[in-house]
Amino acid sequence: MTRREFIKKGLTMVAVGGTAPSFITRTALAMNNPWDVAQVTSRPGVPDDRILVVVQMGGGNDGLNTVIPFTNDAYYRARPNLAVPQKEIIRVTDELGFHPNLAQVKDLYDKGAMAVIQGVGYPNPSRSHFKSMEIWQTADPEGRVVRYGWIGRYFDSKCPVCEQPTVGVNIGQAMPLAMNAESGMGVSLDNPETFQWMPAFNGLGAREEQELFKLLNAPAPGVDAPGTIDFLRHTAMNAYVSSERVRSAVNGYRSGVEYANTRFAYSMRLIAQMIAGKLPTKVYYAHMTGFDTHANQRGTHENLLQQLAEGVSSFYKDLEAQGNADRVVVLAFSEFGRRVAENGSNGTDHGTAAPMFVFGKAIKGGLYGSQPSLTDLQDGDLKHGVDFRSVYATIIDKWLGADPSKILGYNFDRIAFI
Amino acid sequence: MRRFQPSATNPWNRVKAAHLLNRAGFGGTPDELSRFTGLRVEAAVDELLNFESAQDVAFPDVDFTAIHELYEELVRLRRSRGEQRAIRAAANQLNRANREKFQEIRAGWVSRMIQTRRPLQEKMVLFWHGLLVSGFPETRSAEHMAIQLNLFRRMATGSFKQLILAISRDPAMLAYLDNNTNRKGRPNENYARELLELFTMGIGNYTEQDIKEAARAFTGWSFAGNEFVFRGAWHDDGVKTFLGRTGNWDGSDIISIIFEHEATARFLPRKLLEFFVYQAPDEPLVAELGGVFKRSNWELKPLLRTIFLSEVFYSDKAMRTQVKSPAQLVVGAARTTGTEIPPLALVRAMDLMGQALLYPPNVGGWPLGKGWINTASVMLRYNFSTLLLNGAMPGVGGGRRAAPGRVEHLIEVAKVKTAGDVVNQLVDRFVQTPLDGRRKWGLLRAFGTNREDTPVAVDGANFQNQLRSAVHLVMSMPEYQLT
Repeated sequence: MTRREFIKKGLTMVAVGGTAPSFITRTALAMNNPWDVAQVTSRPGVPDDRILVVVQMGGGNDGLNTVIPFTNDAYYRARPNLAVPQKEIIRVTDELGFHPNLAQVKDLYDKGAMAVIQGVGYPNPSRSHFKSMEIWQTADPEGRVVRYGWIGRYFDSKCPVCEQPTVGVNIGQAMPLAMNAESGMGVSLDNPETFQWMPAFNGLGAREEQELFKLLNAPAPGVDAPGTIDFLRHTAMNAYVSSERVRSAVNGYRSGVEYANTRFAYSMRLIAQMIAGKLPTKVYYAHMTGFDTHANQRGTHENLLQQLAEGVSSFYKDLEAQGNADRVVVLAFSEFGRRVAENGSNGTDHGTAAPMFVFGKAIKGGLYGSQPSLTDLQDGDLKHGVDFRSVYATIIDKWLGADPSKILGYNFDRIAFI
Repeated sequence: MRRFQPSATNPWNRVKAAHLLNRAGFGGTPDELSRFTGLRVEAAVDELLNFESAQDVAFPDVDFTAIHELYEELVRLRRSRGEQRAIRAAANQLNRANREKFQEIRAGWVSRMIQTRRPLQEKMVLFWHGLLVSGFPETRSAEHMAIQLNLFRRMATGSFKQLILAISRDPAMLAYLDNNTNRKGRPNENYARELLELFTMGIGNYTEQDIKEAARAFTGWSFAGNEFVFRGAWHDDGVKTFLGRTGNWDGSDIISIIFEHEATARFLPRKLLEFFVYQAPDEPLVAELGGVFKRSNWELKPLLRTIFLSEVFYSDKAMRTQVKSPAQLVVGAARTTGTEIPPLALVRAMDLMGQALLYPPNVGGWPLGKGWINTASVMLRYNFSTLLLNGAMPGVGGGRRAAPGRVEHLIEVAKVKTAGDVVNQLVDRFVQTPLDGRRKWGLLRAFGTNREDTPVAVDGANFQNQLRSAVHLVMSMPEYQLT
């Protein structure tokens, strides 16, 4: 089929009153054109069907109680109540170990399917949740007022395919800034069953109502000033053209793998279903929250690490069963780590550097970077050894096959995990 | 700030009255619009602002007696070293009862937003809940949240400085940001940081060291039961240097020093402009309002009056450019249509749209503007009309299809002769501003016609169904998402 034929098909799919705004035509074109998404990665040597899943650990994960320097006295001195007892720690090297609740991902580590990048941060770290999260999502610590996210800029670098709404899919109630692109906002959903427009009961009939819906929501170039209303129309049409596709992808696959009964595991299962359903998506985004453990940290943090490990582990098994494990990399980050010394509330306050995690069958697992010193601190906080933009650069370059220097504004060193 | 001066070319009219009722409250019915249009703009603003003189509906307080009893039972079991299983069962029972109380408070609050005769007061409670954020699960006690909402109601438009002092001593807040365990020697920075960053000054106006010093000053500020307590043994009474001032400061001193700074004078005015007028207001505008704020000795009422009577509030940049928050959308629809929906269903609809009252996403509160809109939320917001029309929407009870409700109360039947009359009435009730011809034509199509003058029979066999479709379509328009 030629591009022209696709355009025609797109037109008949969404035409209203004989005219279809160009935006809809382009979206419909992308939705109907399965090889367009492949063009998102087009560099020779990088396969076209690769997928990135970003896991945001919101609130500031206590990296020091996640990947633990268990032979270091300074750790136990700084954490009289919160230190994980040495005997419970899952040993990775003679000096470093995982929190006991990471047992399930330790299996992945042993298979070479998990990389730990230690001491990740950025210069002049912000200890504000909101500022630091914005920095991680825009990859802009210098505050150059970047309006689009690092993933969004990756999409923008691959236009016109970027206009396909499902190129980025967020699972959650709010779209992260990281996915915000000049070319659009991508798809965000929480529950596939509510992700559809319902006609009224006993109304005109679904067919007619759908046609009027399209008319009332169609962007109208030259008539409407760009602005919020235009944004609403674009978002509504993105939702309209992608909802059936998303739902049928999700409904077409039932995993045999068991997932835990948590919000995060639910998100990961949904992503696995969409991957199995061949949704043309390059980047998925999932969220965990609650890492802001200022008080009574132990139970909360243990539970969160358990959820992370269960969610990632089930997801990996699911992908293996699908035969897709080679195509998917999971990247887990948090906006900052926490203060080395515990506070008087059996918790920890906002800190700086922390480990990042990468999972995937195709990666080179192991430890990267080095554990920051617990005694050579800056304002009580760890000094970072690896800039998070190096991790992004590695992913953008080696996994997604795009040029990171354009997207990140600077040619950051690559790390050897891919 | 330049006052809005009604003139022949820029009159006080129905569209502006609707704007005021929407922003300073949760919207008005066509009758309320007519009444407000007939007032002078000052009288309209003052009626909203001086809400104390309005006799409000009697809203029942949530009864926590059963929670107290369950709590006492749990304490008794623990003291008497009862069986572990019995203790666990009692704790679970208390948690369940507490969660039910959370639902009861949420439902009661939404009912109140819908029914109140003091809409600005409830709008401000919502504003404060989104700014001075507390909520589940960090605040475990439903009763503490009820107490906090009452504090916001009581101090809704009073002194901001007094409110900051009060919220610093509020049990729900002390629990939410962990100050209840902030003690000498190893202070907990959580409250001090957010007090400066999110509640009073904004990032960039203090150092990390200021946060540490402020945290020391707030050591020992805690609560017992429902009351603030100062734990002297936990308090660090050493010398602190905060924002360049050195002394033996405690929490109230910190607040006093915060209110000496220009950044504080501008902080809340900026938040109010963003909430009531538009996002990213110009700095000169913020500074000017900051001046009003300082001169009013941090009282909110003069500030709000200045805003609601300003030229900028009725400017094109402000009118019909704000994305309705889920609360605005849901409460506004219930209020302006007079449709009775179980309040818990409305709460649930808001949860799905991303505004779960008492369950804020984090201490930063909820987004504004486009932050409410994504592919999923736009579908939920569009489908919400089916909750009004059919008593169910995807994700909210009753299955996908409940029974169709009556809809004729949404139009004034006596005044309907043509399809254009119906469409005009719907636009007036829901969109409250004229629609362009093409969109209006789309709504006429719901009545099977291309022309406004096509007669309709309101008692015709299919009229109810057509009207239902038309309402659903109006509420599925981007125009309806804005106010």
